[in-house]
Parts: sequence; structure tokens; C-alpha cells
Amino acid sequence: MHPKPSVALLQLNDIRLSLGSDCKESQAPKSFKLCISPGERLAILGPSGAGKTTLLRLMALDASPIKGVVLFKGRTQQSWATAELSRHRAVMPQSCQVAFGLEVKLVIALGRVARRSDPFVSDIVFEAARLARVDHLLSRRCDTLSGGEFARVHLARVFAQLWDTRDGLILVDEPLSALDLGLQEIILKALDRFATERQHAIIAVLHDVNHALRAFDRLLLVKEGQLYADIASKSQAVPLFESLYGLSLECLRTVDDALVVSPRSNRCGVA
Amino acid sequence: MSLLPQLQRIPPACWLGVALLLMLAFAVQVGAMPVHLNDWLDLPKMLDWFVQDKPTQTLSAGAHVLFNLRVPRLLLAVLVGASLGLSGALTQSLFRNPLAEPGLLGVSAGAACAAALTIVILSEMPLAVIAPVRAWLLPLAAFAGALAVCFALEQMARWMAPGSIAALLLTGIAVNALAGAVIGLCTYLADDEQLRSLSFWTLGSVAGAQWLWVWLFASLLGTAYYRLRHSMQTLNALALGEAAARQIGVDVPGLRKQIIVWVALLAGLAVAFCGMISFVGLIAPHLVRLWVGPDQRRVLPLAMLLGGLLLLVADTLARVVAVPAEIPVGIFTALIGGPFFFLLVRQARSQVR
Amino acid sequence: MISNASSSQGLLSRRQALGFLAGCAAVAISACPSIVRASPRKRVVSIGGALTEILFTLEADNDLVGVDSTSIYPPRAIGYPNVGYARQLSAEGVLSLRPSHILATEEAGPPAILKQIAAAGTRITLLPAKHKYVGLRQRVLGVGQVLERTETAQLVLEQLDSTWDQVQRQIAAQIRASAVRPVRVLFVLAHSPAQVLVAGASTAAQSMLRYAGATNAARGFKGYKPITPEGMIAAQPDCVLVTEQGLHTAGGLEAILKLPGLDQTPAGRAQAVIAMDALRLLGFGPRMPEAVLALHQAFHAL
Repeated sequence: MHPKPSVALLQLNDIRLSLGSDCKESQAPKSFKLCISPGERLAILGPSGAGKTTLLRLMALDASPIKGVVLFKGRTQQSWATAELSRHRAVMPQSCQVAFGLEVKLVIALGRVARRSDPFVSDIVFEAARLARVDHLLSRRCDTLSGGEFARVHLARVFAQLWDTRDGLILVDEPLSALDLGLQEIILKALDRFATERQHAIIAVLHDVNHALRAFDRLLLVKEGQLYADIASKSQAVPLFESLYGLSLECLRTVDDALVVSPRSNRCGVA
Repeated sequence: MSLLPQLQRIPPACWLGVALLLMLAFAVQVGAMPVHLNDWLDLPKMLDWFVQDKPTQTLSAGAHVLFNLRVPRLLLAVLVGASLGLSGALTQSLFRNPLAEPGLLGVSAGAACAAALTIVILSEMPLAVIAPVRAWLLPLAAFAGALAVCFALEQMARWMAPGSIAALLLTGIAVNALAGAVIGLCTYLADDEQLRSLSFWTLGSVAGAQWLWVWLFASLLGTAYYRLRHSMQTLNALALGEAAARQIGVDVPGLRKQIIVWVALLAGLAVAFCGMISFVGLIAPHLVRLWVGPDQRRVLPLAMLLGGLLLLVADTLARVVAVPAEIPVGIFTALIGGPFFFLLVRQARSQVR
Repeated sequence: MISNASSSQGLLSRRQALGFLAGCAAVAISACPSIVRASPRKRVVSIGGALTEILFTLEADNDLVGVDSTSIYPPRAIGYPNVGYARQLSAEGVLSLRPSHILATEEAGPPAILKQIAAAGTRITLLPAKHKYVGLRQRVLGVGQVLERTETAQLVLEQLDSTWDQVQRQIAAQIRASAVRPVRVLFVLAHSPAQVLVAGASTAAQSMLRYAGATNAARGFKGYKPITPEGMIAAQPDCVLVTEQGLHTAGGLEAILKLPGLDQTPAGRAQAVIAMDALRLLGFGPRMPEAVLALHQAFHAL
């Protein structure tokens, strides 16, 4: 576990992800406790259907936990007004259909809709778009964009939403799933830069273990509706990955001494 | 060549405003009754009548028709058209779909059904309800009917596949059919006097316009626009979906309730006073979106202007095509709107990803 | 007030100019017809075929300026300006004929439009049918009053009364003589095969049947209501009565005979269908007495 600072950004106490009603008592999901500090980088990993998205939604204060309590900046979900909460935390959805083909400029500006007076909104929109590399698309309609461009527009929206605050929380749900390799790099870098400048924490649900190892300090492994492990992002994580995914993995080191894992292929040798 | 950029700089609201004024000027000249310049000079007498509430016996026949029949009717057509345009734009933003409209979704039918039931029930009641109460009971019933249908639709939309317009339109068909059946039953139970008022609901007409109704709709529209003017950007946020809208700080349940109440008020009262006039709420916002894009901050006010213009044109046709008889305006809006709806559906299907 | 500075300049002084303008305005305003008076010559719009008939009987067609779509008798009534369907009047359309009086049956509407027309200063006289002979009398008297032809109306009334007397006596005598039970008749409105309505109590059709010495085969309801095949069979009519216009709309005699259930009734088996012009049969106009007699004789001939 990491040393806890005095003020936690996000605290999950005695949380259960699922009811586990059809399990035996001994196999019932155990409740867990989590504490996330400002500026942390946290990735949630696990097989499909494990409950990653549920956990993310709990952390975003989007859903109420079945058991336990979630505290964001020391306050419960009920004590946060919707508008006020949106100024401290932003969610980038996995997929988001925009009806009516709104303009990209407008979609990005919508990130700031909860603010009563917003004199610099056009500048912020432009800067956010530049950071997410969509500034050339500002006058385009959303329904004419490709999947990758659309994802970046939502990223720009998240940027605009938390542009002028500090110590916020950004939650992303599998943001890289539909993107090519080059775009994945761009987005991760942009996100990292944005969050570092403003001391925002990032919590991301990821599929790709290597992304998690490279860009995130802390990993939450979720399996079958339970928190399987809460570890630092290092080589000790590899055995846990193996039991998480049920695969045997090979560890490799790149020239920059970064860790990369790959599934070990079983070669049936026919001699 | 230098004229075109200049023309493009003129805001659409100006174009529509001018078109509306021109159409009003034209419509006030045409009609079964010939109206002369002399009749316009009776305007001071008319204003005096307003102030002092004297009977209109000192007006010439032409002036009477002009100021007590034609002008209120034209103004009512514009105001009701604007109400329908606004309620159509609001419905489309609520259901996140350009094919939504109070008429298609059964809101107008619900209002008409409630009004029909009220007529039949009132006639069955042993004590005679005094005329002014009865006169206001009908719009109230229509509003309640519209509200009930709106809530039902909303629940249905969230329970079935969210964002699925097919589910909504099917629900609308069901509501329309149910309301039609209830109105049919009322027609069966009604005696002849009521029968005449029941058939009014299904065809729609602004013929019975009174100045009182004009003031009512003007204040309704004014209040609606005033209350909604700050919500337009949050209406844009709804286009991202409910979850995303909540995450960016929009009070989605509150906004939804606000929209439903306004849609029910605008569409319900339009039905109460003028019967079922369909498709204006579908065509006006759609054409506006084709022209200026889908930003609700521009769509809502322009849909009001265009809705008013459309209904004014339809009503003028209705008055003039079969002089001296007249055709209910709902027939014209359905004749134009029906094919337009088919075009919309085709276009929407070709855009499905 | 005249300003000294301007009085010496220009063609007219300010006071003179104002006076001139006032004079023009006065001329203009007085030029328009400023009061809706009852003009010496009446302009009457008749809404309802029966009232138009009565008007022509009183020889007041000079006063007539407009009729509705049900005014089809006498044939020259059709040539007058038509204000359309009685139940869906247009205020402006009616007022464009500048009527001083409107004669209306109970069908005229919508009520809001009638109010608008009345507010314009036109006198509206409602003359319902009451589905009785006395209603016809009241109509004749009422029309005569409005048209200021009371003597002619009295004459017409006397003639009608004597005809009616005769008809009633004839019918009573024939009923006594024949000593069979009254004929059971069903009045059918068959605008479409799906929508078959029959007349119950409190309808013009039933009144006419009663006057003609027949009974209404349909019982137990008021107004025009749909009938099921079982209901048709249970009614067991001896004869089916339709209007000529209705017969034409339904598609002729064969279509009427094909009504479900009719073939199980005496009327169907005997193919007894009687058709009469709608206005003559149901209008309760001046032709009512002889229409009753014609009905009776048709029933008697079955």
C-alpha cells in the first residue's frame, strides 16, 4: 500500500461491487477499501465482465454502492450538487453518441455548461482542442468524424471541463479501444500532460496491460466482482496478471528499460 | 457579386421576421370578405372599443370582419404556429431525435382525448356547470391529457432502448390509436350537439379566434421563451446522452421535467383552442436545423418564427382555396407534412451508421 | 396656436393646413359605411334545406342572398351563393354576403362561429325542427316573421294545415280498414359498408315513421347508432327505409340488400327497400305532409 497523504481525493470505504447472490457465503465478494490521492495515476485492469466499469462508475459518483460509502474530497455523493461536482471531476465515456450532429466547437464548449458565467470559454475551447489535436476540426459536425477523431473531441471536452481547476479527477473508460497505435500514444501523452499541469488524478479502465504498466503508477486488478489486488505498477505485478487473466506471460525489457509483457505462446513441437 | 456576402451576413431571424410581416400583410388583404382602405381607418374606433368595451355597432361591416375576425385569426395562427414549432423543437431535444413531434408521439391526441372526455362527462353531470368555468375547464383538461402522455412517453423511452426512435414512434402510434378509440367512443355516446364539438378536435382550425386567445398565447409564448432562454445551452447538452449530460453538470431530471411541462402546455393549449394541427412541430425545427445547424440556441427561436409562418401560410390557403367556405387548416398541414415526414424517414435511414 | 414665424411663409398657415387635413379625414371617414343598420332591403342567408324551401314557398327569393349545401329544393336554390356545410360555417364567408338576417336550422354551427357572426350585428334566427308537425308550423311562422311576410305565411300555414288534416284522416282510415299490425320499418344510413347506422328514438326518421302509421323496428336507443347483424335480425323489419342520396352513396339497391343480417328478415326476403329524397323525408319542410302520405302509401303497398 502507498503512504496515505492527509487529504484523500477519493475514498471508497467498505465497498462491495456486486451482491454475489448465487455464491456460497464463503465465496461471497468481500468488501474493500480504497484511498486515492490527488495527482495519482491509477489503472483498472481485469477480464471482461469483472466489474471494472461498475467500479469506475462508483468512483465517478455516478452510481450508489450496494454496500459502503464513497467520499469524494471528503463529501458523500448526496452532498455534491451536480453542477459543482462537474467542476471537479470529468468522465470520458467509452462511446458517446451525439445526436443531431452538433459542431465540434459546441461539443467541447458543453464541457463548461455548468458554469454560470464563462467569459473565456472560446479561448479555453480552442486550447483544449489544440491539446487533443482536434483544433483543425472545430467547425466540423460530429456525425462526419471518424471514431478516432470523435474520441479526441471527447477528450478535448474533458480538458475544457477541468481546464481551470486543480486537484480534480479524470475518469476514462477504455479510451484507446478503437484507436490506432499512433493515436493511442497521442492521447496518453496529452492526458498525462494535462493532468500533470493541473495536479488532476487519472483513473482509467484499460484493456492493454502494457499501457497500464507504462503510464500508470498504481494498478487495481478486478476479477469476478472483487478487488483482486491493489499494487504498484512494477515487475512484481506480472504473476498477478497471470492469475488474473489465466495466461502465462513473458516479461521483456525494451531499450529504455521499460517493462513489456506478452502472452507466452505454447508451441507444440512436432519433431 | 458583392451582394451575396452581404445577404449572408443578415441573421436568419431577420429573414424570417421580414417574411412573417410580409405574409401577415398579404394575408390580411385576402379572404372571403373584401376589405377596403376605409375599413382600416376605423382602427381608432376599434381601440376605443377595447378601452371602453362598447359594442362594435359603430364599425363598418368590413372593419368588423377585419378587426374582430381576421386580424385576431391571423395573429392566433402565428402564435399557435410558434407554440407548435417551439414544442416540436423541445420534444426533439428531449428525445434526442429529429423525428419526434408532439403530434406524431400522441401528445396532441392525448390532449384531444382528454378534452373529448371532459365534454362528454360535463354533459352527463346533473348540475349545470356555468359557461365560463366550462370554457376554461376544456383547456385545463387538454393540458392534463398532454402532460399525462408526455410522462408516459418519457417513461417508455427510458424503459425501452434509450434513444430508439422506433420505440417512441410505436408508442406514439399506440397512443394515437388509443386516443382515437376513446374519441370514437365519446362520439358514440354523445348526442348531436356534442358530436359537433368532438369532430372539431380531429381536424384543427383557427377559425374561432378571439382577442382573448391572442393575448393568452402571446403571454404563454413570452413566458416560455423567457424561462427557456437560459436553458438552451443545457438543452444542447442533452444531445450527448443523459449520462454524459449529468456528468458535465446538467440537472437532467429537472431539465426533463421543465421541458415536459412546457411541451404539454404549448401543445395541449394549442389543441384545446384550435384542435389537432399536426406536423408543424416536425417541419419547422427540421427546416431550421437544415438552415442554421442544430445548436438549440438558434433552433428554438427560429423554430418559433418559422412555425408561425408555416401555420399562417396554411391558414391563408385554408381560408382562400374554397371561398366562401373554408377548409380546416389541419388538413393542409397534414397534406404537406405527411409527404415531408416520409422524406425525413428516408433521409434518416440513409444516414444510419 | 399659430407661430408668427411660419405664418408668413408657405402657402398655408399652420391652422389652415390642420383644418384642411381635418376636413379630408372627415370626408374619408364619413365615406365609409359606418353603421351596420338593417338596410331597407333585407339580405337573408338561409342555412338548412327546409328553411330555404319555406322561403321559396313564401315567395321571398328576392331577399335571399346565400344558401348552404343542404338547400337543394327547389332546384333554383342551388344557383345561389353557397356558404358550405352547415356544421362548418366560415364566419368571413357568411359575412362576405353582408347578410342582415340568417335563418338557421339546429344543424348550423360551430357555435363559436355563430357567435362571431352575431357579434357582427347580423340577426340569427334559429328554427329547429322539433320533429313534429307543430315544429313545421313554427318554422313557417318564424320565417314569415323574419321576412316580414306574415300574411303569406298565414296563407301557406292554412294550406299546410288542411293538407295535414287530410293526410292524417286518410292514414287513420286506412289503418282502421286494414286491421293488420303496423309495418315495422328500419331507417338505415349506410355511408360505408363498415359504418351502418340506424335511427332510434328522438330522430326525424322515427317521427316520420310514426306519422306514416309505421313503427320503428329499432328500439331502445336514441339518435343514430350502429347496428350489429344480430341486432338487425332481432329487429325483424318488414321494410328498410333509406334516403335516395344514401342509396346512391351505398352503391344501389344490391348494396343495401347485402347488409349483414338483412336476408334473415322479412324486409330482406321480400327485398322491401323504400328510398325517398333526404330533404323531403327528413327536412320537416313544407313538403312534409305529402311526404308522410307517400310513405304511408308505400308501406301499405308492401
